[in-house]
Order: sequence, then C-alpha cells, then structure tokens
Amino acid sequence: MNFSQFFALAKEKGIKESQLSFSRSKALSVSLFCHEIEDFRINDSQSVIAAGIVNGKFGSSRTEKLDKDTFSFLTDGILLTARLNEKEDTADIFAGSEKYHKKSAYNPALNDVRVEEKISLIRSIEEAIYAADSRVADVEVGYTERESESAFYNSFGLKLKQKGNYFYIYAEVVMREGEVTKTNYNVFLEKDLNAFDKDAFVKETVKGAARKFGADSIASKKYPTIIDREVMADLINYFLSSAIADEVQRHSSMLEGKLGTKIASSKLTIEERPLEKNVFFSYFDGEGVATRNKVVVKNGVLQTYFYNRETAKKDGVESTGNGTWGGGKVGTGFSNVFVKPGKQSFDELISGIKDGVYITEVAGLGTGMNATSGDFSCQAEGFHIVDGKLAEPLTLITLSGNLLKMLGDLKGFANDAKMTLGSISVASAFIKSMNIGGK
Amino acid sequence: MISNSLAQKVLNAALATGGDYAEIYVEERVPDAVMLENGKVESAASSKSYGCGLRILNGLRSVYGYTSDLSAKSLIGLAEKLSASYAEERKITVEKIQKAKVKQHIHIEDHVKDVPVDEKIAYLKEISGIVSGVDPRIVRVQTGLTSDYKVTQLFNAEGPIAKRFDNVEERTRVFIVAIAAGQEGIETSFAGPGASAGWNYFTKVLDYKAIAKRAGEKAIMMLTAKECPSGKYTVVIKNGWGGVLFHEACGHPLEASATSKGLSVFSSSIGKQIASPCVSAWDDGTIENGWGSDNVDTEGVPTHKNELIRDGICVGFMVDRFSGRRLNMEPNGTARRQSYRYCPTSRMSNTYIAAGKDDPEQIIKDTPLGIYVADFGGGSVQPATGEFNFSASEAYIIRDGKICEPVKGCTLIGTGQEVLMAIDRVGNDLALGQGNCGAASGSIPVNVGQPTIRLKEITVGGRGGKLE
Repeated sequence: MNFSQFFALAKEKGIKESQLSFSRSKALSVSLFCHEIEDFRINDSQSVIAAGIVNGKFGSSRTEKLDKDTFSFLTDGILLTARLNEKEDTADIFAGSEKYHKKSAYNPALNDVRVEEKISLIRSIEEAIYAADSRVADVEVGYTERESESAFYNSFGLKLKQKGNYFYIYAEVVMREGEVTKTNYNVFLEKDLNAFDKDAFVKETVKGAARKFGADSIASKKYPTIIDREVMADLINYFLSSAIADEVQRHSSMLEGKLGTKIASSKLTIEERPLEKNVFFSYFDGEGVATRNKVVVKNGVLQTYFYNRETAKKDGVESTGNGTWGGGKVGTGFSNVFVKPGKQSFDELISGIKDGVYITEVAGLGTGMNATSGDFSCQAEGFHIVDGKLAEPLTLITLSGNLLKMLGDLKGFANDAKMTLGSISVASAFIKSMNIGGK
Repeated sequence: MISNSLAQKVLNAALATGGDYAEIYVEERVPDAVMLENGKVESAASSKSYGCGLRILNGLRSVYGYTSDLSAKSLIGLAEKLSASYAEERKITVEKIQKAKVKQHIHIEDHVKDVPVDEKIAYLKEISGIVSGVDPRIVRVQTGLTSDYKVTQLFNAEGPIAKRFDNVEERTRVFIVAIAAGQEGIETSFAGPGASAGWNYFTKVLDYKAIAKRAGEKAIMMLTAKECPSGKYTVVIKNGWGGVLFHEACGHPLEASATSKGLSVFSSSIGKQIASPCVSAWDDGTIENGWGSDNVDTEGVPTHKNELIRDGICVGFMVDRFSGRRLNMEPNGTARRQSYRYCPTSRMSNTYIAAGKDDPEQIIKDTPLGIYVADFGGGSVQPATGEFNFSASEAYIIRDGKICEPVKGCTLIGTGQEVLMAIDRVGNDLALGQGNCGAASGSIPVNVGQPTIRLKEITVGGRGGKLE
C-alpha cells in the first residue's frame, strides 16, 4: 500500500498531525501427537493502526482489511475517537528521536532450513522422550516459528522499519505409574536452530514429570523457599507491571512514591535491555520513540518507572521508550528484562537449607494475585528440601505472600537464568521465608 | 466476504491431496469499545478485524491456516500450501454449494452497534457516578462497554455438496472496576454482565444500578476484611458465577479436545459415576440470547443442549468434529473459536450444574462452621491431573449457620474428581454468570452457572492461620 496517500487524506480531513504503523506477522507451527503430525498451521496477517490529532485531542483507528477504503476508514475513525476523547491534556504526535540504534536481529538462516527438517527434528525429540522412560504415556511435541515486520511513519516524514524472527520448540509429556498421572511442559526459545541441544531438552522434559511421582502435601508453616526461575519470571512480571507509570499515576501501584527508595533486598538488580540483539530486540517503541537499555532496580533501589510520552509529560520526564500501541490507546510495556543472576549453582543455593520448600510450578496466579497490593495466594507444587538436598515431591500446596515483602526477603539467585517467552530472564531465587499451606 | 464460486475453488484446491473435510471460515467484525476512567472517556476504539481461516482434515490429521488477505490468489495459495501436507489421491470434488438453514437462538432487534456512541457514554457515566458515590475511599472507577458485531460465512465440504452457513451475532458486555484505597491497602472489585442481546436489555432489563452499587460496596468491604484461614473446611458456594468452579474443574476435562487424547481425568468416564448423585450438569449453547450461545458452531454444526452429568453419572462430552474422530463420537455443536486466527476445538458455551431441591438459606443454616464463597475472581485447572485452584473475590466465615465476617485472599484447591464427589447439597436457585474463557482456540464468551452448592470438605488456602 502507498502510505503517503494516507497522510494526504488525513490532512484533507483536517487531521494536521498523524502517524501510521503497519505490522505483518507470519507463522508456521507443527505439532506431533502419537507419532503423527496432528497439527500443521501457517498464517500471514497484517494490520494497520493510525492516529492523529484533532483540536488537540488524540484519535486512533485500526483495521485488518486492506483495500481501497482502508484510509478513509482509518481517518474517519481518528475523527470520531478524537471527538469523544475527554482527556484534559493536549496531545501531539511525536516527530522522532534524535538517534535510533538501527540494527537488525533478523536471522535469515532460519528460513534456509526446510520445513521437512524441522519436522524430523521434532519427530526425533518425540522418539527420544518415549525412549527415555517406560512410564511415558503420551507426548506432544511442537515447533513454532514466527516472523514479524513492522513499520512506522508519521506526517513529519519519519520512517522506521524493523523485522525479527524466532522459533520455539515445546514438549508436553504425560507419564503414568499405575493410576497416577504426572505431566511436564518444557519450552526452548531461540532464533538460531544450532543453539538447540536436543539431548538436554529431552532429559529436562522427562525428568520434570518423573520426579513428581509420589508427591504429597506438607505441614502448613513458613519455610525457607526456593522459587524456580519460570515461576520467578511470572512474579517479576507482576512486579514490573507495577512500575508502569500509568498505574503509579492512577494510584493503583504498590510502587507509588517509591522512586529512589529501597523496595527490595540488595540482591535484586533488574535491567530492561530492548537493544540486546536477541529475539526480542526492538529499536523503536509503539510511539516511534528510540528505545534504550536501562536499570530499573539497582541493588534493591527503584531507579525508574516505565514511561510512554503521555505519562512522561505528566511527571515532567522524558519517555523511556516503553510506549505500546495496540488498540484504542497508547499503553506502556516492557520487554527483554534481565534480572541479575547469582554466582552459585542451584545445588549450592539450596545446600544450606535444613527444612525448606522448592516451588517448581504455580497455578492460578492470574486470579490469585492482587496486582495492586501485591498480596498473592496460589496453588503450587514442588519439592521438600531436607538438609540441603531436594527430598520428596509436593503437590496441592499453596504459596502465599506479598510480592514486595518477598523481594525484601530475597537472599539471592542461582546462576541458572533462562529467557522466557514472556521476555524475562531470571534465575531461581532463594526467599528467606514464605507461607506454605498444606496439611 | 467471499463468493460461492471462489469458495468452491478454494475447497477444491484444499481437497486436492486427499483431505476428507475442508472448511473456510470468513469473519468480519467491528468490535466497538468505549472505556471511561473516573467518568471521563479514556478511549473509544474504532477498529475492524477481517480474515479467513482454512482447515483441512484427513483422518486424524489436521492442517490450519489463516490470512487477512481474502483475494482469490491469496486464498487459493493458502489452500495449496496447506494441502501440500498430504500426498494422497483426491477423495472429494465439490460440485455445488448449498445454503444451510440454521435455527436462531440469538434474536436482536436493537443492535448495540447502532446506538449513538454519546448515548453509550452517558450510560457509562451514570454507572461510574453510582460506583464512586458509594464511598470516598473509592479512588478509581473504570467502566466500559464492549460490543462485538460479527458477520461470518462458513463453507464446509465432506462430499460433493458443500454447505454454506451465514451468521450474524452481536455480544455486548459492561465492565465495572472499582478500586478502593485506605490505610489497610488497595482492593479491586469487578463486575461484568454480558449477553447476546440488544441495547434495551442493557438499559431496561439489566439492573445495572444495583450491580454498580454492589461493585463499589464490595471493594470497600474487602478493604477491612481479614485474611482467610487455611485448612480443610466445609465450603458453601453462592449461585451464579460460583459455577466457574465447575467450569474449570469439571467442564474443561469434559471437552473432547482433552478426553480424546487421554489428557483428561474423565477420558474413560462415560457411564461411570464421577460426581455425587445430587449433581446433574449441562452445556447448553442454545439459551436464548445467552452470553455463551451460538446459532451454529464455528464448524457448521447447530448448537445443542448437551447433557454432561446425570445424577452423578458422566453421560457426555463436548465434542468437536476432529476430536470426535478419535472418540468415534458425533460432533455436538461445541466447536468454538475466538476469531479466524484460531482453529476451532471443543469448548464450553453455557455450562452449569442443574438446580437441585435444597433451599439455599437452609444449606447455610445447616453449616455450623465453614466458608461462604459469594464470588470468585477465577481459576485454572490442569486437565491431565484434574488439579484446580480458584480464588474467591468475596468470601465470608459461616458460624453457627450464619454468614459472618468477610475474609480476603481465599483460594480453593483440589481436584475435579474430589470436588464433584464432595458436593453434598444442591440448591434450587440456579443462576448464570458471564465470563471469558481462554484455551486452545482463544478467548471466548461463556456462561458459567450453578445453584447454591455445598462442598463437604475442601482445601482452603489463605494467610489467616486456622479457622476458629
């Protein structure tokens, strides 16, 4: 599409400043169940979001239907939503940052590997999982690959484009011992197929389910607690969501008024690195602002909130390049988060715990977390830690506490950090004491 | 939307390599959303979603693709790419497309999409005013109205005569979020009534004023609530939204997508007792103008009222076409999907425990010590093991047969098998509550429901120590 026609039409309709962002995403995914390709999917979709300023008010519109009426639909949408907008501040369109770190994290080599080879890779993973343990009853293995392209234009002549791709391999194993069923899910995310270590992946997947047999509950009390890196990533995500300036300005954040103060143990240092050249690399945000790497928490002290242009203006600071633009309004997000890991191995981290709990999975955090107060309670499973070693598996226990209190009680991290699909890299954490509910 | 002749070409390209079923799902929707923050318009969305999903089945194999480019070149290209997964002789050639007749369960005369946006804003401002008027400690009120007007076309072929289903649906939901802040902390409460109904329902039938007031009162009440005790207790669950427990713990494991693969605790339960004899349950996609109702499912099977449990015995699953092949069962109108971006699979629609005989007040009177859960935030379940968790957003202690002080942070945990057997009382006050359910085929609108029920004993998680 010729996007310059959009700006001409917008001007004609009285929208002086405007911007347009185009995105296209392609994906391929294959999954196997019982040795057969059960599912094979491909897709290719695109969307355009446009915004503009009418009488100082922001209006926007989005469509997936690209035809001769697209620009007229978008400009009419901007006019309508700008008219309804009752925000007191006057809005403007961002002209552009002084400098952009234009790099590419796209890996064209991923396209050179034929689909058939990717399918044989997951077939071999499936076989290896079945062969690894006689209790394996069912296995589902899948390969997903995504490619995304985005472009950003505005009426000041700014043109930005970026393209990225990645793949992930996942496996879910169901194991049976008599009447008892245990499952485990494992995922590997990268953009370079050579980085995948099949044997390690298979071993980890099977071990994850096998070690759950014989699980029971445990006496309710406070335990020194190790939280697995995957669970920790979920908790860090809730914590960082509270650092979004919109929440703070609306008095809905537990981090309100905490800038520059100690909000966690000195063991906690968190950076957001959008310019890290991995699968989440991005050099401009949803508003066209250049992104930058930043320290969010340094040795337990909160350094910054996440700002888009609007919330930054309110606090009299610069946007941190965290603007997102999905639907009707500009939001704020974060990605490529790195929580500073520790130096000890996982085994060393737990070695000093006499009677503790290792939490490997939680369920129901989505509803069990009060995101405003940080209080949470959820179902969990894991292992008892006895005399510095993992002992019997635990099931149907509950983990509860308060997020800030928990981060205050953080004694350290292991050195086993892993990047999640949610773009948070964090290691397993040692919390001095947490409430475990059981028998 | 696409023409019959293009659909026929696409189906034939899809079936060229031995597929035994092909389906084209075309969808154009204009989701409308207005959101207010403290009574002021925060955002009004103008958007259009548009695209097509194409599925080809061959025995127990399935391929699915979608695109937002509905040109002949794009669609035939997609069909060719997908069908390249199979390498057999053609079994089916589509010769004709016939329009199918569908019984309508959704009747809307006054579509919400046609209501002037200023009228919707005035409605939301009224609601916002009611919530913030409850107490000065209500520091933030969010209100919103979303309506999703959807026009779909479905073409499916299992033989030379393909069927075409044309369908129009519109679902509307009101959102109310009240946030209260005090010295004790911050509490949030939520209400979200919805229906496949017109504007008259939301302004005249629905008691939105009472719902708004209640949302504000609940946030205030939870501010001073004590932490919920933990341990094993008798729990009474209020009618309506309380049915989310059945939805999560028993509904999901009864979806054929789970049972057909042996991934559910109820995989081989048909004809067996899975619940206490006082429990019967249904999934009914045909409730008139119901939030979770459809006229026809998204693979062209008319919706049904499906019996799941009769007097404690498992009698049926929710079955989609593909999973039905593994189970050797007919699809029963439960194949649902969020949008053209999702491959359909068996999902719940309006799922509920049927009314029993007990007076709900008597159930509480007969409970000397326990927890009364009046509202849930939500929960999740692991279908292979049946383990679930639910967190209550409104709960009280029951003492000597009376509902007493409120408690917060209450979580119920257990397994679906356990909880179904633990139900010992079922009230006569069936009610439904609206939610969105997320699973393999995306987030879809569902009604959950139940009468007041009592669980003889279940594990309760909380931070308040033992119940005394």
